Order: sequence, then structure tokens, then C-alpha cells
Amino acid sequence: MHIKISSVDTLIIYFGEGISQEILDQVQRAYRVLKSIEGIIDLTPSYNSLLLEYDIMLYDYQTIQKRVKETLLQKSTHTSSSTNKLIKIPTRYNQTLGIDLKRVATLNKLSIQEVIALHTQTIYRVYAIGFMVGFAYLATVPKQIITPRLSTPRAKVPKGSVAIAEHQTAIYPKDSAGGWNIIGHTEFDDFESFEVGDSVQFVEVV
Amino acid sequence: MSGFIVLNSGIFATIQDSGRYGYTDRGVCHSGALDMYAYLWSQMLLNNHNANAIEFMTGLKLQATASLSIAITGANLTCKINGVTKAIWQTHSLAKGDIISFEKRVSGQRGYLAIKGGFVLEKVYGSYATTLKEGIGMKLKRGDFLNSLPIDSFPLHRVRPSEIPEYQKPLLLRVLLSYQEEYFSAKEKKKFFHSDYEIGLQSDRMGYRLQGEPINSSKKDIISEGIAYGSIQIPQDGQPILLLKERQTLGGYPKIGTLLTIDCYKIAQATIGSKVRFETIEIAEAQKKMQTFNRCFRTAFI
Repeated sequence: MHIKISSVDTLIIYFGEGISQEILDQVQRAYRVLKSIEGIIDLTPSYNSLLLEYDIMLYDYQTIQKRVKETLLQKSTHTSSSTNKLIKIPTRYNQTLGIDLKRVATLNKLSIQEVIALHTQTIYRVYAIGFMVGFAYLATVPKQIITPRLSTPRAKVPKGSVAIAEHQTAIYPKDSAGGWNIIGHTEFDDFESFEVGDSVQFVEVV
Repeated sequence: MSGFIVLNSGIFATIQDSGRYGYTDRGVCHSGALDMYAYLWSQMLLNNHNANAIEFMTGLKLQATASLSIAITGANLTCKINGVTKAIWQTHSLAKGDIISFEKRVSGQRGYLAIKGGFVLEKVYGSYATTLKEGIGMKLKRGDFLNSLPIDSFPLHRVRPSEIPEYQKPLLLRVLLSYQEEYFSAKEKKKFFHSDYEIGLQSDRMGYRLQGEPINSSKKDIISEGIAYGSIQIPQDGQPILLLKERQTLGGYPKIGTLLTIDCYKIAQATIGSKVRFETIEIAEAQKKMQTFNRCFRTAFI
């Protein structure tokens, strides 16, 4: 773990390099523990980091760093009562709704059925929420279906689109511009229930 | 009913306050007044406490439906009441039927119109701030009615002339080296701190795009991480982007540093095509400046 200044009243804590469940768990633990410190204005967890905005009238950058370090070192005494849940996403996979399903299959030399099987067999975790409200970055997709973003993003991706970009998958919570590969569609609408650390599984419906 | 009828919304007008805090973990951005200095003065003048205000550009025209006490701060957009030019950075009393308009830009970009007690609106996630991309709030449009509480007359208050910013002055913006600064060589940093940058066309409440000497970073993208207010992102083309109130909560471009928060308020009034330069500031000094600022506006924050 190392702490860096990110702005006049924020610091960023890095928990390791790369993307792994182990690092995610460390981020999550820190997020839960630091949430209870007074004078914390915002916490933004992501794959391997946690951005922390603090009240500059309460701490200067040295005292907050000390406080963060002390709090995180005490973590063993803190029962990390995980509230993470499993969210199931009923998804329709077909080429009308999933306009890039064919592309994902072709680029990876798979059949469409194989793509669907691989996408639904994995239990993903929410590594971050951002880009827009309720947009959960889910990882890690099986390496057989890792697919690069479209070279030109689409002006409009419909709400409920299930999509893949590189090692990540996600659901668009709103109509939006976007460059991810759309492979299906869901009627799921409770995007505000996503929290970093939650598990997510896609279930095929016809 | 007391309040304003919107006769013309002008280029762009929204309801804002000091912003929405505590929800970035859900992807909800801070939003709020882009020029907090002007917004906070609008609150201080009326003895409001983080009430909402209209953030507007040229063309706004409102009609009072009752006696109202208001404060106007920010850009000089030729404030007229019933066709007579009025000073800004002060309170004004309006009578029923009065028309207030802002037809021509003289300096700055964004004005703030606050009303004693604020407009009667619902908060979303603890704030009145409008964020169009999140579907929170709306742009003001012709025919809207903004409801306010009936109030007694309010005394005239003025901001001291020495406290009123001159928006035409060229900007020298203070930057804390931070985040991925080690991805930028001494040569690249020197370029960044010794060049003029021009404010580009695609500049809005989310961020300001600059044009000038391209800056190269040794790494082109990073794992997405939280973006602090004022972050200076360097995308692949090397042209810096200053990220402001409606920035995305997460981003994956390297950042050379972060603009001092009070300088973010200054850039909110800079016009497209104007030039800015950067200089460094150390964290201890930066924090002192922010603390002084916050102490001045303490009562408006509560």
C-alpha cells in the first residue's frame, strides 16, 4: 500500500499493481474501515485504488495520512463484515439485441453459443462504479472472450445493453454513447443497488 | 405565488448549489456551481446557507411575480432591471412585474442569481445541483416558474470592490504536482509550465480542454481511478484537460497534477480562446490558501 497526494484536499491510496480479487478485497476493506472516520467527505474506490477527500479544516495532508495509515493497520481488529451480495441478471443474448455478438464470436474464433456459455458461467465482481451513475465495471471475463473496444464508439447504446470491453463486462444503466461490444440485453433496472465488491452473474433467458 | 417566470433561459442556465458530496462511490459526480467564489458571495450577500442559485450565461430574462430580494454575482452580462443597467456583486429588491435581463456579455462567462432563502425545489442525494448527464434537474427553459418563499424586504449588501475579480486578466494557475507526475519527464514538465495554453472549444461544466504544446507521458493509460476536482489529465494527443465539477468519477488517463481548487473557480469564468499559464505550488502552501478561503466563506457553507 502506498499513499499519494492527489489534490489540495484528496489523497489516493494504491493497494497494488494490476487487477485481482485480492487487491479488490483490500480496497473494499479499506473503504469500509475509512468510511467511519470523521471528516471524510468522499471515498471513491476503484480496481486497485481508493480516492479519499477529506475536510481540510480538520486535517492537513500529514495528519490525514497518519490517520489513514493507523486506521488501516488496525484493520485486523475490525471485523470486516462483508455486506457483498450476489446479483443475478436475466439476459437475452441474440444478434438483434446483441449487435456485436457475432463480432465477439468471430474475433475469438468461437460459436455464438460458446460466447454465451462463457459469459454466463463466470461470477463477476463489481470492481468499480463510475463513468455514469450505476455503471458497474464487472471483471474478469474469461480470457477466451476478451474483446477490444470498438474503434469508433457508437453515439447511442440502449439502456440495458450487456457489453464487453477487454477483460470487463457491464450493463448500460441508461442510453449513452459507448464503445463496448454489445452482446445482449437485460430488463434489470435496479442499478443503484450495485456496490463495489458485489458478485454478479448473467443468466440466459430466451 | 412568489418567484420568477423564465421569459428567456439564454444560452444555458441551471440550478446549482455547492454540490453533491458523499456519493462518488456510486458514480454520482459532485456537480455544483462552477465558480464557487461567485456563488458563495451570492449566498453571503443574502445571508443564505448553501441555498440554490441560478447559474446562467448570456440571454437570461426573468420576471418577478412578487416582491423579491436577490443577489447577483459572477460574470458581467449587463444586468438590467426594467431596461435600466444595474450594478452586480450586490443585492437588489424587485417589485412584482419587474423584469431582470442579462443580454450582453462584457466579461466572464457565468453569472449567479440567488434569492433570499433559495428557490423551493427538491434535493436529490442531498443537493440541488443540476447534472444533466445524470438526469438530475433540467436546463431552465422559457415558461418555467421558479417558486420562492415570500420574504420581507432585505437590506442592500455589496461586495467590496477590492473583492470583485477582474475576469479579463490573464490567468496564472497554480498546480500541485500529484498522481502520475512521475510519468512526465523533467523536459515534459518544463514544457507544461513554460507554455501558453489556449482554452479550446469543447469546454464546459465537465472540463476545459486546452490547446498548446502537447505533453508526452511515458505511459498512455492507467487502471481507472478516482478523479479529484481540478485534475489535469493528459490524454494520448498530449493536450491537457482540466476536470471540473461535472467530471466523471473515474478515469484512466495519466494526470500530471491538480489545479488548486480556488483556481478552478477562476477558470470557470475564462472564455474560449483565452490564454492560461501554469506554475507549481507546494501542498503546505496550497492547503493554507484553501483554509483561508474556507474561513472567509464559513457561514455560506453551513
